[in-house]
Amino acid sequence: MTLLSLFFIVASLLSFVGAQLVLKRAMESTIQSIGLRSLRFISRMAAGIALMTISFFLTLGLLQRFDLSYLYPFQGLSVIIITLLAAVILKEKLTMQLTIGGVLISAGIVLVSLS
Amino acid sequence: MRDRPSGFGNPWLQLVLSVMCVLVSELLLKRGASETADPASEWSWTGINSLASPLVWWAIILIIISFISWLYVLKYIPLTIAFPLSRVVDILVPLSCWIFLGEVISARRWCGIGLVVVGLALVAKPIARIEERL
Repeated sequence: MTLLSLFFIVASLLSFVGAQLVLKRAMESTIQSIGLRSLRFISRMAAGIALMTISFFLTLGLLQRFDLSYLYPFQGLSVIIITLLAAVILKEKLTMQLTIGGVLISAGIVLVSLS
Repeated sequence: MRDRPSGFGNPWLQLVLSVMCVLVSELLLKRGASETADPASEWSWTGINSLASPLVWWAIILIIISFISWLYVLKYIPLTIAFPLSRVVDILVPLSCWIFLGEVISARRWCGIGLVVVGLALVAKPIARIEERL
């Protein structure tokens, strides 16, 4: 793996994680009966979709070069990263059970892809 | 987890729908991307030339469907629960290769699948309690 491919793997992971957090925020604002036309909702949704699109094309570019099974462990890390960031940034409640569950899922995904 | 619709609007059902669409789209994307691989081209890192494959377009349609139902899931379920659960797709992909394509799953891979299942159970358990209270 070259430095360049590592860069693109990290970039696609981070844009994916960022998209999830922004989209969660956007959808929460629809519950607080802030209308769908509110500027905050629209800008968050647009940012989420833009990040998702960037991540999608970076992944396609990576898939042209690497096996899906090689790229999967990196996607597995997204469980841990998103769970932690949702707790820190979105102030969601993170129990010990959820944390252990998340770590096991990530470890399992890495094992599956390595074998 | 506040008042949520039942039936087709049930967020847990939508989570399942979203996962299924992702599962199929992943397989289509890999095939489409491989078909159109051209590492020599200048723009290949962006993956944009894979749009030439119809499989990639089918995958995009599925991704849009999964995206819409995922948004709906996000509205009702905390990300710390919904996201780990959505990763059930990571064991469904190798399992469907085993069941439908007759691929062999090694001992190590079975161990990994086992770990994911235990992790999913741990994440899903608190939900069962929350649902009971409703």
